[in-house]
Amino acid sequence: MEKLNELSKQVDDELLVTEEDDAQKSKYMTFKSGNEFFGLKIQYVNEIIQIPSITEVPRTEEYIKGLINLRGKIIPVIDVRLRFKQETFEYNDRTCIIVVIVNDVTVGLIVEQIAEVIEIKEENILPPPKLGRTDKADHRFVYGIARVGNSVKLLLDPDKLLNDEDFSAIEQTNNMISMKE
Amino acid sequence: MAEEFNTEGMLDIYLFENQQLLEQLQDIVLEQKDEECFDEDSINEIFRTMHTIKGSSGIMMFDNITAVSHKLEDVFYFLRDAHPTNVPHMELVEHVLTVADFIGNELEKIQSGDAADGDSSEIVADLDEFLTMIKGGKSKKGKETEASGNVHEEPKQFYIAPAATTSSCFFKIFIMFSPETEMANVHAYKTVYALKEIAEDLLYSPEDIISDESCAETILQDGFKILLQTKSNKEEVSEIIGEGYEIEKVDIFECKAEEFFQGFDFGEHEPHIDLGSNAQESEAKAGQPGKNEGGAANGAGKPKMAPGDFVIQSKEPGKQKKLAKDKPKAEKSSFISVNVAKMDQLMDLIGELVISESVVLQNPDLKVPGLNLDNFNKAAVQMSKISTDLQNVIMSMRMVPLTTTFQKMNRIVFDVSRKLGKDIEFEMVGEHTEVDKNIIEHISDPLMHMVRNAVDHGIETNEERAASGKTEKGKVILSAKTEAGKVWISVEDNGKGLDRDKILAKARKQGLLEEGKPEAAYTDKEVFQFITMPGFSTNENVTEYSGRGVGMDVVVQNIQEISGNLDIESTAGEGSIMSLKIPLTLAIINGIVVETGNSSFVVEIGVIKEFVRVREEMMIYEPNGDEYIMIRGECFPVLRLGEWYGMSPDKYVKSVEDGMMLIIEIEDKKICLLVDRLIGEQEIVVKPIPSYVKKVKGLSGCTQLGDGSIALILDPAGLM
Repeated sequence: MEKLNELSKQVDDELLVTEEDDAQKSKYMTFKSGNEFFGLKIQYVNEIIQIPSITEVPRTEEYIKGLINLRGKIIPVIDVRLRFKQETFEYNDRTCIIVVIVNDVTVGLIVEQIAEVIEIKEENILPPPKLGRTDKADHRFVYGIARVGNSVKLLLDPDKLLNDEDFSAIEQTNNMISMKE
Repeated sequence: MAEEFNTEGMLDIYLFENQQLLEQLQDIVLEQKDEECFDEDSINEIFRTMHTIKGSSGIMMFDNITAVSHKLEDVFYFLRDAHPTNVPHMELVEHVLTVADFIGNELEKIQSGDAADGDSSEIVADLDEFLTMIKGGKSKKGKETEASGNVHEEPKQFYIAPAATTSSCFFKIFIMFSPETEMANVHAYKTVYALKEIAEDLLYSPEDIISDESCAETILQDGFKILLQTKSNKEEVSEIIGEGYEIEKVDIFECKAEEFFQGFDFGEHEPHIDLGSNAQESEAKAGQPGKNEGGAANGAGKPKMAPGDFVIQSKEPGKQKKLAKDKPKAEKSSFISVNVAKMDQLMDLIGELVISESVVLQNPDLKVPGLNLDNFNKAAVQMSKISTDLQNVIMSMRMVPLTTTFQKMNRIVFDVSRKLGKDIEFEMVGEHTEVDKNIIEHISDPLMHMVRNAVDHGIETNEERAASGKTEKGKVILSAKTEAGKVWISVEDNGKGLDRDKILAKARKQGLLEEGKPEAAYTDKEVFQFITMPGFSTNENVTEYSGRGVGMDVVVQNIQEISGNLDIESTAGEGSIMSLKIPLTLAIINGIVVETGNSSFVVEIGVIKEFVRVREEMMIYEPNGDEYIMIRGECFPVLRLGEWYGMSPDKYVKSVEDGMMLIIEIEDKKICLLVDRLIGEQEIVVKPIPSYVKKVKGLSGCTQLGDGSIALILDPAGLM
């Protein structure tokens, strides 16, 4: 939990410098889901909270876990792993919610574990490899692959993440990784 | 219009203030419409109101509004000073209302971004005629209104090229403002502006009166000086300048052309106004000289150029704050308008505060034995008190009295009854009842329909009344009261009432009656409900106001939108009462909190018929999985909430004997809802489910419970 607090603070600090857009532009919030690390542009991230009690809403998509009460504001939360069609996981004290605001829609993303805020230079970002299946290319959650040191982060397009039709992200990422290797 | 001023922002204030003034004006007029004449206070009030509207419209350069308000002001000026006794009161009332309507319409146009292009000339002419008449003018047709005293002719003749003509006079004008005048520079500018319409040439000092606020001081100290070349005579000039409350002294000296060309003795850069290019706007200002704010000053000196070839000096637009302040302070200065979004935010925060308060006060850490919590408890009590107060205040902030809405109805009764030649009294009861703001917006139209109906075909004509032996006047009573968390608004008339047979006949014709049900079997209530069906009107004659068969169905529709309903009572020959029952607020509903598994749900209290504990043998199971229950000889379908919610079956109560049944009724459809247990009744704040989650049938929203958890609000109609 200390790590969470520390990161929350880091996010807050980053958000404080909103004016200096350039400083923020290349910063990414990274988190772990399944075996991969993902990155989200920091300007979408509003805050990071622990998992509160979630009220389920019946008859919705499986990945929409329900509603939470964020200081009087009721927002939906989605499970990122379920969104990627990965298998479910038990929520524990490392699980947390990244509250993102995309096009004025506030949504909480349940992620297994948040990692850190890192800076990724433009030149280290590669476009995702073409899979040869052009019909699916438009539906990608991942718009780029970033090399940071020895690791690889998959950069997410939050708009697609929230709004696109179902698409098997795991399939996509697996393919990419095999291609990297 | 109004290119010369930067009107953004000012326009909002202008519209807001003047709409309020108009409302006040109507109130005064309608209050005294039945008197012999207006009393002194009202005359003064109307005069002042018109004066204010005239003034601000003048600033905003809405000439037609200025013109009519000015004319009406003249009328009341005369009434105030001369106390004429021969004033036909009703005619006067109508004149005032016509003017108020005209201005109201123009303001609406302005608000929606159109040009205020209404033609004021007819109203002005009517008022002129009226004024002449009450001034003792010979005949009503005596259109030859003497431009005497306070009647100002529109000086249309002043499109004059800035060239000195022989018939021109030259004036030095010196104006001293009273020392406490605020923003004397603006007043000075207005004078200049007013003078421009008659001026062939105009110079003033200090020159930079609009962009330089500091010159206000100079004007106060040294006075404001104007050099004027015009065709008008001294009287006209002094009239235009007028003597308002800010002006202490005006000196106007006639002078020779040579003197004029010498200009001011001071200052190198006299401002020059190209009159040609401004003639249009100048003319706009015509007809409303004599502004109280006006001021002008003696100018002595000479322009460096000949007055003919002036250069346009673009004037800085008047700064908004100067002009806004210029308007008389609204009487209701203790009100401010607040963005509703901010109020909602405040309400959310307060809700959250209450919850975090309970988290603190019921913190498990406090349960440690042996703690001395006396002081803590004292402080806690104090805090709860404050937060409760806070909650009440924010709720009351959203509440608005019905007064304004009712006043509008007063006007409708007045208009319609006069046009129809019916003698109708209107009474309002409980107009101070407070209702949530968004509810008021929804009931205004339905109420208007109902009131019109009552006046138009509820109440008989005078002859009919006399024939049926009714002695008392026709009367419409509009009343409001709060009862049991609902607002009741009723429109009552003592007219002929609804004709049961006629309605039944019509219903038969339209095929609304059930097959095989004798007409006598319909209760009065059922019969009267027919008039709320679309396209149903028993009135044979379409009148201007009602009878087209649209109306009551729209009323019912609007009312149902805010989950209210309409009740009709009527006694043939004695009148009818239409009552609306609407919730006090949309944001808060009274609900029953129930629990199934670990989840809480809210059901609106109004739809719940009863709670029953049932025994297993009352259940009927169909082979296809449907379940029914027999209660007191009636069979209801059963819905298990846990099952509907998709809970795993081990989480919620399986046996109907352990759970609780809610019988829910909506529009004669009934269903039994099985829940685990009842938690209790609670007032809940309705919040929408975030739009990101697609709409789920059977859910109408969500709310936050006392412990901060979220409960879903069930929409019973969607469950069926």
